[in-house]
Amino acid sequence: MTTSEAPAKPKLTIDGQAVEFQPGDTIMKAAERARMDGTIPRFCYHPGLPVAGTCRMCTVEVEKAPKLMTACSTPAADGMVVLTQSDRVRKSRSGVMEFLLANHPLDCPVCDQAGECSLQDYNYEYGPSKSHFVEDKRVWKEATTKRLSDKLTLNMNRCIHCERCVRFTEDVTKTHELLMDNRAWRKELTTALDEGLFNDYQGNVADICPVGAITFNDFRFHKRVWFLKEKTGICDGCAKGCSIYADEEKDTVYRYRARFNKDVNDHWICDEGRVSFHTYQQADRIVQPLLTAGSTLNATSWETLVPWFTNELKKARRVLILIGTDASSEEAATIAQVLPSFSSADFVVRSWNGTGDGVRTSADDAPLDHLLRRRDQTSNTRGIEGLGIKPWNEAQDQNFDLAIYFRSGRATLPPSMAAKEIAWGVFSLAEAQRFAAVLPGLSTLEKFGTYTNCDQITQSFETVVKGLGGSASVRKILDGMKLKSNTPVREVAGDTI
Amino acid sequence: MADKLLTQHNDVEGSHTLDVYRSLGGYSALEKALTMTPDGVVDEVKKSNLRGRGGAGFPTGMKWSFMPKAPTFPDGRPKPKYLVCNADEGEPGTFKDRLLMTRHPHMLLEGMIIAAHAIGASRGFIYIRGEFVFEIKRVEDAIVEARKMGILGKKVLNTDWSFDLVVYRGAGAYICGEETALLNSLEGKRGEPRLKPPFPAMVGAFGMPTCVNNVETFCAVPTIISNGAAAFAAIGTERSGGTRLFCVSGEIEKPGVYELPLSINLRDLIDHCGGVLGGKKLKAVIPGGASAPMLSAAEIDVAMDFDSLAKAGTMAGSGGVIVISEDTCIVAVAARLLKFYEHESCGQCSQCREGSHWLARMFARIEAGGGTDADLDAIAGICSNMAGQTICAFADAVTGPALSSVRKFRHDFEEHVRLKRCPCKPEGHVVRHDHHASAML
Repeated sequence: MTTSEAPAKPKLTIDGQAVEFQPGDTIMKAAERARMDGTIPRFCYHPGLPVAGTCRMCTVEVEKAPKLMTACSTPAADGMVVLTQSDRVRKSRSGVMEFLLANHPLDCPVCDQAGECSLQDYNYEYGPSKSHFVEDKRVWKEATTKRLSDKLTLNMNRCIHCERCVRFTEDVTKTHELLMDNRAWRKELTTALDEGLFNDYQGNVADICPVGAITFNDFRFHKRVWFLKEKTGICDGCAKGCSIYADEEKDTVYRYRARFNKDVNDHWICDEGRVSFHTYQQADRIVQPLLTAGSTLNATSWETLVPWFTNELKKARRVLILIGTDASSEEAATIAQVLPSFSSADFVVRSWNGTGDGVRTSADDAPLDHLLRRRDQTSNTRGIEGLGIKPWNEAQDQNFDLAIYFRSGRATLPPSMAAKEIAWGVFSLAEAQRFAAVLPGLSTLEKFGTYTNCDQITQSFETVVKGLGGSASVRKILDGMKLKSNTPVREVAGDTI
Repeated sequence: MADKLLTQHNDVEGSHTLDVYRSLGGYSALEKALTMTPDGVVDEVKKSNLRGRGGAGFPTGMKWSFMPKAPTFPDGRPKPKYLVCNADEGEPGTFKDRLLMTRHPHMLLEGMIIAAHAIGASRGFIYIRGEFVFEIKRVEDAIVEARKMGILGKKVLNTDWSFDLVVYRGAGAYICGEETALLNSLEGKRGEPRLKPPFPAMVGAFGMPTCVNNVETFCAVPTIISNGAAAFAAIGTERSGGTRLFCVSGEIEKPGVYELPLSINLRDLIDHCGGVLGGKKLKAVIPGGASAPMLSAAEIDVAMDFDSLAKAGTMAGSGGVIVISEDTCIVAVAARLLKFYEHESCGQCSQCREGSHWLARMFARIEAGGGTDADLDAIAGICSNMAGQTICAFADAVTGPALSSVRKFRHDFEEHVRLKRCPCKPEGHVVRHDHHASAML
């Protein structure tokens, strides 16, 4: 009997620890796989971009190599011995820091990047405490706040010429708007056209800029980053369901940033999604129960609205429950199952999308570009379909005396469904005018649950902030209805179905 | 002095025309080479000890042997191989390639066609510095002549092999003399050196295996093939064969291009050129173009081959010999050279972009009398943070004049600091330097 041994995987040694790598890996990639890249600083290297090897910050000492090697570009080899923190390496990095800071304005106190700036962090770790540079600093007078587009602002004086931004527009969006003008120390980032950037992924440029050179106008000067808590979430702006960080303070979200997810969005998110959280924090979002009184909607309490709602269901003979395809699967399932138990009426459960110029089902969805954006701008069309809920067919599904429309803020307003319509979920005041009552619900940020994206990937998401004002979860409302009493609805952050 | 191999027909009327070139034995080497196997040609060049004349001095035959024999695309189709001539002669103090292109363009073509035969290239590019308008015309005319005579194009000299050449004009960047920056420029991209590996022999122009050589290197190939490798190797040193075109400039009685054996002593070379201008005392020599560290007058007893100069702490570089007399301010020389490098760094690597600017500003300030002792002490540190740390050798080149001038002529620098002015200029003279940041932007 013979035994066949699996060929040993190639290994290199990083700081004394053996690390397996895959053929084709660079030292940086191998270190990343082993989660040992924390000791390799980098400016120009970004895992989502082609390697440039120009900042020279990631240099490491490789045994038997006469020169220091850049970890980002040097292929890993079997038996290679790498030191990431030797004296030679630290001296070289200290040199790079001194060069990069020589002409840097050092305006951290007024720089929006302060607190999440690679230049700050690495200088603390590797930089010389004192610079020999005594010349006048290079100043781009015209460019301290240059408009790159309506979304991005450039401060060229802070730029360290890593060119991540240029490579992003070259290799990710392939729109080629950014380029370096001139040469040497006068090298200046500029846009190819006067119009500036026009791609739909500009926010990523601010994300990947390691310093405060490029900032995102929507966030710039709104909050110091050290006050923010980084929460993980999913963008509900379209059927892609990109992974995000939602940075919040005191239950207010200040920005989304892309969160790496190789199955969904890689390192990027689109600009529309990036600012989509504003919808849920706008002044005209209804966060208080509303009930009709004649021709106007008046503010009321849950104690009044819940019994009214239960009573309306009981009175009705034929009820349409229309669920927006932006509802979480749990919300949709609960509403579809539990609501009919309150009445002997005839219930029809259907879904509604309406985004992207009339998307009804997942079959109408399509990519809008080669990256992420989808025609379907709701987050859970596939999840709702998975529950067996069919889209509303206006011609066939008719003659309702009551219609309840539940959505979480993305699906459009459907055409008139019944004589009496009740809105449940996230609505603006303008949208709510035609409804008899509004039961304010939770947005994606305020609840937890699951969405199934355009590639049938089901992802769960967590609560980022507390429900705004008096908005309540589906579960709280159904609980209140079950108790058949006017028990006040007690709101608990993070509670859903 | 030994025989000239490249420039012996310099003074022949019409040496740039095909007829005259042929009448002087031109293209006979190509005919001979085409009867040899490609490997035979590579071996012959290897045996000749020809080393690249662009500056690095890499053995040419070895470079050619790195070219893959029959490269293919993943789908099995054969990959084309390219040959590139680096005629972006930009090293300050160097002006030999323009002489060769002006007087002997067919020698360059012949060398390139032989090289193409040796490495199996189907197409060649001659990347000529954009300012060389006359030389570009000369080379283009020569290509037209050669095509007419069936020397270039389909079926070279009635063989089954085809090869054609294209002239590409550079746009004025010094860094495009670096071979991978040249390839980027040739492809229409920013002229920035590439990360290596992959080397051009594997991924070169337009992603294809490419061999890049200097004008003078190609021009040496016909004589090697005609007269044999042994004859070529006999001139020069054990590890470095042939003659070299030395470009002698600066404060010298008879500046010009001199073809001399590689092994010539620098002192003899200066004497051969008539000595220092006006019989002045020698102060320093830059032996291999601006990037080569300076040699002081006491150090010039050195052979001009690659190895001897490297041993002396400098380099043979591009063969540009700049002679500096005792009347010249060495601080001013260094400051001027650094201003050049400050302007020409491509700006991709942190150390080079920022360091070249820093040093240029500092040297200008010292020259103007604003320097301090702390500056002089800082220079070595700045240079050590630059040299050997970047993608290409440009940062090393910057440190050449900076470090050597301060090390070897520290007294001159200290006098500038002490007197708070340039001692070589009359009192009250204001050193003009337009390095102020806002002036450039």
